[in-house]
Amino acid sequence: MDREGAETYLRLLAEAAMRGSLTPAAGPRAPNASTIMAAGHALTAVGALDPVTAEEILTDFRLATTARQLHHQSGGQGVTAAEWLTQGQAVLRPRQVPARSPGEGAPWEDPDHGRADHDRADRFVPVGLTVPFRAGAVRGELCLMSFAQTGSGARFIAAWQVHSPSLEVQLSHHYPGLIPFDEFTVTDDRGARYELDLTPGSDLAWPNMIRLSPAPPGTIRWLDVAPPYRQAIRVDLCSSEPAPAGDATRASDTTLSPGEHLLVMLAERLLTGTPEFPRRGLLAAPPTSPRQVVAGGFGVIIAALEAAGVLSPLSPVPARLATLCASLDLTGHGIAAPPTLDMPEPWLSLLAHYQRRKPEPTQMREGYAALAASLPELDGIRVILLGLQHTQGGSALHVLVQGQIPEPRPGPLDIDLNFPLSLWLKDSGGRWHAARPDRCHQAGQESAIRLRLVPPLTRPADRVEVLAGGRSAEVRATLPLRWRYLS
Amino acid sequence: MTDAPNGPWFTSLPPCETLVPCGRGRHCVRWEAGELRLASHADPEAELVLAALGGDKARCVEIAEAWQRHTADLTVLGIGPRSPADEVTVSWDDVDAAGQAARSGASVLGYGAGPLASPPRAAMARASIRYQQYQQEAGEASQRRLDMLSLLALGTGFQIRLAGQVVAAHADRLDEPDKLGRTIRSVLTAALDGRLAPVAEQWLGIDPDQVEVSLYRGTGWGSVELTGRGEQRRLRVSLPAWWLARVWACGLALTGRHLVVAVERAGWPDARVLALSAPGAEPVSRSAHAVSRPSGAADAPHWEI
Repeated sequence: MDREGAETYLRLLAEAAMRGSLTPAAGPRAPNASTIMAAGHALTAVGALDPVTAEEILTDFRLATTARQLHHQSGGQGVTAAEWLTQGQAVLRPRQVPARSPGEGAPWEDPDHGRADHDRADRFVPVGLTVPFRAGAVRGELCLMSFAQTGSGARFIAAWQVHSPSLEVQLSHHYPGLIPFDEFTVTDDRGARYELDLTPGSDLAWPNMIRLSPAPPGTIRWLDVAPPYRQAIRVDLCSSEPAPAGDATRASDTTLSPGEHLLVMLAERLLTGTPEFPRRGLLAAPPTSPRQVVAGGFGVIIAALEAAGVLSPLSPVPARLATLCASLDLTGHGIAAPPTLDMPEPWLSLLAHYQRRKPEPTQMREGYAALAASLPELDGIRVILLGLQHTQGGSALHVLVQGQIPEPRPGPLDIDLNFPLSLWLKDSGGRWHAARPDRCHQAGQESAIRLRLVPPLTRPADRVEVLAGGRSAEVRATLPLRWRYLS
Repeated sequence: MTDAPNGPWFTSLPPCETLVPCGRGRHCVRWEAGELRLASHADPEAELVLAALGGDKARCVEIAEAWQRHTADLTVLGIGPRSPADEVTVSWDDVDAAGQAARSGASVLGYGAGPLASPPRAAMARASIRYQQYQQEAGEASQRRLDMLSLLALGTGFQIRLAGQVVAAHADRLDEPDKLGRTIRSVLTAALDGRLAPVAEQWLGIDPDQVEVSLYRGTGWGSVELTGRGEQRRLRVSLPAWWLARVWACGLALTGRHLVVAVERAGWPDARVLALSAPGAEPVSRSAHAVSRPSGAADAPHWEI
């Protein structure tokens, strides 16, 4: 990795942008602050450039351009000296978090929290039980997909079905405040009682991670989950350990460079960020959307990665990106490589989906499939699949990620560095579905993530093939599914 | 290439001066032979001592201090002019307004931490330390920018001379990081690109974005070659970092339709330079003579071969 090359590239890009800002006739393709941010984000994402340095380059660029606008009165381009002083707000690195008030921190952020459990083996159990409940005027079902216990605590991965008499609609996504967590009782095989609540850090729109408090001992055999005024339903925790990844798991080595890996992530971000129907509507996307930023900066990003020595000029990935952009009607991407027909099968499948003139009729009912399958480690990251859910026309895969999770680096590329893997599901009809992080809750070296499937499932497959790809290897696993449906 | 045996980098630069509002009057600040001089302040060091004891600090003295603080600050190269025509116009009213804004903004830079119910002492102490550290860093950043604005207000002649001074401070230690961890080679490569590209455009009519520069590390002056056609046309230039100080900052870059690649014998108003008539040609030794501009602006030297 050529760190000096990376820094030099970004500084030269800033110089080119500076020239463009001094030339009124500079074309729209001249680099600007957005281009510098995109390239800077790419270089920091692959670890070729320190985010602080990238930030300083961007700040110096802004100071330089605005210093030349101090006395421009026409066209609204002028800035005042006071405004000049405040140029360069951090965009590529998170701001320092101010000191937290005592007691403000959550248990999972406490370094001592769970230390006693550190050496205890993790436990992942598929559950697949539906617990009907009624609490006052609210009734519904708590659908337990799986149970996961790690050093960060114990939780059920669950789906909710909530009905109210006045509004016979499914409310679980939008009104989780109606879920009567505190009216459930949970008891283990030794008589100890636990409370259910939302995993701290989960927002109300993500009621899928339900924490048991306090965390039970790792040796309990079952839990009784009792809804208000109803008989408890027993959850057997000894049914399958350790969690397997299905019988048919194949791992193969890949040799993606850091630059190729980033480009694949960006490509999949493009693929999963593309609106559905009508297809022509995507041309009307605002030019500042992440999708446009990503596509518009591809040429610069590729050049930056090459300068940093993390992308070979002979790599086939840029040509695939060119094909992708052409297929999605994205122009101005600046990729020098000509398009290619050598495309990954999942990409082609998703592109074919977008080429459809109208949505495919769905045969999916709202429901879930229990899972507790651990994939072989990829790039130091272990992925445990904990449930598949289909509701309100969308499909989601729930996973727990452990290991060397990179630090999230927010930036214009809108990529999820804390889930630096490519994850696809192939249904029994042969269609591929990209799994893109939708909600994430990170606690140290562990993240609970809800992955949105793009496109959603359209038929209840009895098995899926999972393809997980990292930089150094990829894994294919076939998982049997047993769907349970909501009433 | 170092200062010796050709004299300091600024040997081919004339003095320049400007008037600065200071106290109730306007004082002359002069740059000469690599140093800033305050003609209206007989003993600036004594004034500094008085200021430290609570007296007012004269603006001229503040400027001299700011100059000293930034003679090795690579940020100067990022913000300052790329050519004499690239004027960064800052007035002293701007400096005053920014100073007032910085002083009034200092009180709102905190985290806004609310009262704590029962704050443990250790946590309060940690929060207090971090808060003080944050305030200190914010104050230093604000001071750096105010400094920069004052130095820009001195005018283009001073800005270019300061850039030369910064390059001279780093040109012989390209492989070291600076105080802020920046890679000196990267910063100077970009500085060379930003300043050579407009010169190349004037010299050959080439699109500045088609100029590719690198810092030359070997013996001799470097290389200049033109390749390709149309959009693939490239002017590849490799010059030592010292070129920025000894040639560009001294106004010698494009002299008599020649690209000056090195100074053989520095001097003012006469110097001997190594000049290229065209890319790929061998540079030839030429005598250069400084002439006064019609405006008489001695701070923007103009040379002829």
